[in-house]
Amino acid sequence: MDLQAVSMNVFRVPFFRFLNFDIQEVGEFHAKAEMAFDSRHIGNPVMEHYHGGIIASFMEATAAIAVQPDFAEVPVKPINLTVDYLRPGMKGPLTAHATVTRKGSRIASVRVLSWQASPEKSVAEGLYHFLLV
Amino acid sequence: MPDLSQQKLDQIAQMWNMRGKGLITQMALKIEEVSTEGVLVRMPFNPDFCVDSDQTLLHGGILTALLDSVFGLANFVAIEGVSTMATLDLRVDYLRAAHSRADVIVRAHCYRQTRHIAFNSGSIWFDNHVGDEIARGTASFALTRGETSLFEEMTRGKA
Repeated sequence: MDLQAVSMNVFRVPFFRFLNFDIQEVGEFHAKAEMAFDSRHIGNPVMEHYHGGIIASFMEATAAIAVQPDFAEVPVKPINLTVDYLRPGMKGPLTAHATVTRKGSRIASVRVLSWQASPEKSVAEGLYHFLLV
Repeated sequence: MPDLSQQKLDQIAQMWNMRGKGLITQMALKIEEVSTEGVLVRMPFNPDFCVDSDQTLLHGGILTALLDSVFGLANFVAIEGVSTMATLDLRVDYLRAAHSRADVIVRAHCYRQTRHIAFNSGSIWFDNHVGDEIARGTASFALTRGETSLFEEMTRGKA
């Protein structure tokens, strides 16, 4: 699936426009995206850090695209998630990389890393489950 | 139910009013109930938070963000002398499709606090559908205790 088609799909989703990210890579079992910082993403108004919920949302969006980049109406159905917050998300772009660790006939498990300066310094790591039926 | 001091309630109201830019303003949260036992908050429907073109289905992520925000509020209310707070981890189950244009109601509380960590749980449903929980979450927060309170930190330099 080519990047332009995926990007057009992403653009149809109101909440994905709210998050404001670009898909940079998409493969059979992975996706990579970059989100631009916006004041509406702020969680800590003093430090101007990302809101943890925005980071988790962006990671969920990237995970859903990795599982099903060619979704028809809405992105694949989420079941649940676990996120570890490792470092504050500073003012600036945030990258997420989602890897589908298992895609069965009904359930997909996805591991997502997000970072700013380098992938070795994760801002957050998450595990997401999706229902494929 | 332990009552909050008027001073704490005033601080919460002030903090809430001056939260300014950021996601909490976008979510237009309204505090409905607040005590050391927990908080009840309303989030009005916002079409920007939807995934479908008809804009009637909320994205799970906004529910996760809502839980994270309201856990923070519950901790601020329940714990004395916290200077900063950071989410350590967050777990959310999406229990049914969030298909409605109704307001979203979230209840959250801090069920255990230690010197360094707060443990939270919370639940989300659509207004007037209290039996049909749409999401449930738990989280832990790392607390930093100190002389300056979170409230003072937030109001500093804003006068």
